[in-house]
Amino acid sequence: MSERPNIVDHNQLFRQDKYVRQREEKRAFEAPCSPEEVTDTLEYTKTKEYKDKNFARTAVVVNPAKACQPLGAVMAALGFEKTLPFIHGSQGCTAYFRSHLARHFKEPVPAVSTSMTEDAAVFGGMRNLIDGIENCIALYQPEMIAVCTTCMAEVIGDDLSAFLANARQEGVLPEDMPVPFANTPSFSGSHITGYDAMLRSVLETLYNKSGRTAQPGHELKLNVLLGFDGYTGNFAEMRRMLGMFGATYTILGDHSSNFDSGATGEYSYYYGGTPLEDVPKAADAAGTLAIQQYSLRKTLGYMKQTWGQQVSSISTPLGIRATDRLLEEISRLSGREIPEALKQERARIVDAMMDSHAYLHGKRVAMAGDPDMLIGLIGFCLELGMEPVHIVCSNGDRKFEKEAELLLKSSPYGAEATVHSGQDLWHMRSLLFQDPVDLAIGSSHLKFAAKEAEIPLLRVGFPIFDRHHLHRYPIIGYQGALNLLTQFVNTILDVMEEQAPDHSFDLVR
Amino acid sequence: MEPAVSNGRLEVSCGNKIPKSTPCPRPVPGEASGGCSFDGAQITLIPIADAAHLVHGPIACLGNSWESRGSLSSGPELSAYGFTTDLGEQDIIFGSEQKLHESIRYIVSRFAPPAVFVYTTCVTALTGEDIEGVCKAESERLGTPIIPVNSPGFVGSKNLGTRLAGDVLFQHIIGSTEPEQTTSHDINLIGEYNIAGEMWHIERLMQQAGMSILSRITGDGRFREVGWAHRAKANMVVCSRALLGLAVQMERKYGIPYFEGSFYGAKETSYSLRQMAYLTGDRDVERRVDKLAAREEMRLSLELEPYRKQLKGKRAVLYTGGVKSWSVITALQELGIKVVGVGTNKSTAEDVSRIADRIGDDAEYIPEGGARQILKTVRSRKADMVIAGGRNMYMALKEQIPFVDINQERHKAYAGYDGLLSLAKQLVHTLQHPVWELTAKLAPWEEETEFAD
Ligand code: SF4
Repeated sequence: MSERPNIVDHNQLFRQDKYVRQREEKRAFEAPCSPEEVTDTLEYTKTKEYKDKNFARTAVVVNPAKACQPLGAVMAALGFEKTLPFIHGSQGCTAYFRSHLARHFKEPVPAVSTSMTEDAAVFGGMRNLIDGIENCIALYQPEMIAVCTTCMAEVIGDDLSAFLANARQEGVLPEDMPVPFANTPSFSGSHITGYDAMLRSVLETLYNKSGRTAQPGHELKLNVLLGFDGYTGNFAEMRRMLGMFGATYTILGDHSSNFDSGATGEYSYYYGGTPLEDVPKAADAAGTLAIQQYSLRKTLGYMKQTWGQQVSSISTPLGIRATDRLLEEISRLSGREIPEALKQERARIVDAMMDSHAYLHGKRVAMAGDPDMLIGLIGFCLELGMEPVHIVCSNGDRKFEKEAELLLKSSPYGAEATVHSGQDLWHMRSLLFQDPVDLAIGSSHLKFAAKEAEIPLLRVGFPIFDRHHLHRYPIIGYQGALNLLTQFVNTILDVMEEQAPDHSFDLVR
Repeated sequence: MEPAVSNGRLEVSCGNKIPKSTPCPRPVPGEASGGCSFDGAQITLIPIADAAHLVHGPIACLGNSWESRGSLSSGPELSAYGFTTDLGEQDIIFGSEQKLHESIRYIVSRFAPPAVFVYTTCVTALTGEDIEGVCKAESERLGTPIIPVNSPGFVGSKNLGTRLAGDVLFQHIIGSTEPEQTTSHDINLIGEYNIAGEMWHIERLMQQAGMSILSRITGDGRFREVGWAHRAKANMVVCSRALLGLAVQMERKYGIPYFEGSFYGAKETSYSLRQMAYLTGDRDVERRVDKLAAREEMRLSLELEPYRKQLKGKRAVLYTGGVKSWSVITALQELGIKVVGVGTNKSTAEDVSRIADRIGDDAEYIPEGGARQILKTVRSRKADMVIAGGRNMYMALKEQIPFVDINQERHKAYAGYDGLLSLAKQLVHTLQHPVWELTAKLAPWEEETEFAD
């Protein structure tokens, strides 16, 4: 390279003298309130009095930690081969879903909208839906179109099944094209319930279309469900473990290849996913294993009731004990022994945990995220001797609270914890100031509160916008435990080193 | 472009019409579409950094979008907070006006913002909430301006939302406060959002020439400062057709002349500064601008030398999906890059004619179609790179095409003289990255099979 371009980003650029001065002048011109007043107010927001007022808040949500149902539905749709997510509503939401998922996975996200406008609001969105279907088939040649609604279509009460029937009648929608649909208004539930609704509809649609009758246990295969999972690495890890068992299986809803495709020089809309014909066959499986519960309630209910499946569901298996349980379940459902190699892996990870335990032990932690992820994290933290203190779950319910509390009670390290479901990240901020902790665990959204509280954030969950590639590594299984452990302990070591006075700036840790 | 005034007095403005009904085509069902009007309105107003922005609707509209703006603030950050009424089923059935009242009161009592913007969304527009009424009542009760932004997603595109936000600024804010002092060189910047701090470059240039920004509309803006925009000597509309209407209205009501300009590229930057100076009617300022422009252009051309060499003759497809297309073309041309394809899907007829002025028939116009069309153009026109917004980035990278992000979420400032230099460096950097050597060659085993054949 002949010349090395020196590109300064705005961090460096705007630290230059001229800009600093410019900003100071501007501030003087603005004549803001005094710096003391600013500090006083800031301090006030950290007080107990403010916390009480904050928790008395009922109306407004400040800094939410959840997304809406259709976002989850889009993710579920992309778990299947050549499937186009199709969102019935006005166009904006779709743009948001695409960029939200793209920012997390760093991948292009195909999804289209019926682009409803005012006329549709008055006369109903049927024309938009039919025209949209015609258009998207011509443009994107999907094999399945997965339709979900936004709040708008729900408020005007559009009847999807009638509209789709009309689309078939008009000949726009080919007879044999499966079109699962889910009602996913954003005024109820969250991205995890939307995921559930769409997945259930996909299974039901494809099963019904096949005209078969379920014969549970007829096949040796297992069904495996990962739920609303922001980690493509988890899919690979799940496959690896099942492969070691020698188990045969079908992953129902495998979005990992759509969200982690190679740069081959040719862009395609569809990169993989569960083959459509595998779905009806899945009804004959020997058993179903789900590693999320809260995001799969309806789906698992359907599989139990209609397919007669033997279902076993656990929350995201983070850490040793949860993975043990996972392996036991695989073993039970598949009738195969836990492989020796996995047992060795376990011992190695336990060894790694012992190597690091001194740095993690007794660390007080705050965490926010989806219910299944939080259950996994609580378990893992307790195992590491870390103390979960504040647990905020915007989309949690009573059942989650109970489960979390029970888990916390199982260990002395959980004694101080409080579980806040339905709360937001502004509540979390109050908690962090009122009862300080050493670490925060959660999605990128938590970084602002963590920064203010001057604690490091361990990024786990969805969405992670501001770090690269974390989602490509598994966090489930023993291997996942090692990955999380690595991230946790090294973050703590980084911080220690940053703060270390010269005399304890050590080489060996 | 003809100047809007002569002898410092208003005669004809360069754009004397408010853009007709919809400035851009309606979205087509079944296509991958861009943002909604709510999004446009929010993006336009959120840079007013000290205000609170409350989204009245279910979680969808805010839950998927907060904290994702690229507009920087030099001080207050309240606008980065995600406020929403997060409506649930019960609220939809029984109405949510009470919740809105309470939300506004909570925000005002806890955060004491100078104003609260309340955004309608599809749902609250459909259920017929009296948002204007609530805002009015709370404004009176609390003594804080509570400003309704009636731009639900379903009314149309993002651009339309920007326009509606312009109306909000005009109707509710501009003219509501008075500046402590004014000079005869006060300019408003309209439609400059301080992405990656771009406005700070511009502000510095203006200061050097003896001009100042009276109101930032809205990049790094403050509520009070937008209120006194009507005292400016001139308005510059920063390549944003959607906010042109605001400038037109301000001219009608307050007699403030305006012009449209851009800060992408040295030529456009100099032109814009000159035009501003001209509108202040101060010969002295004009002379200072002339000197500044000459000096900066000279310096820049020296510094650009090595990059120009490397960029000369490179071919690019530009898909900004918006109004920036023509102004960025100029910047690229100054660097010696040939624009062989350009997106026009959100451009008005006037924008398209400006594009045509700059590239004539040499380039392919991509009216719509998103990813597929962009890629087709890249292939058929043998382009070396794609310059577009974040949503198209990953698609281009799948095709192993060098990509430079030019839209809202980027982290580099490309405006002004220094900005052009940054852009040049970024382009060279992108094109020269060793990963392209990797992708240009086959994997070794693939090469061997070729020999074997
Ligand atoms: S289209 Fe409507 S519901 Fe969707 S994000 Fe825009 S305003 Fe919200």
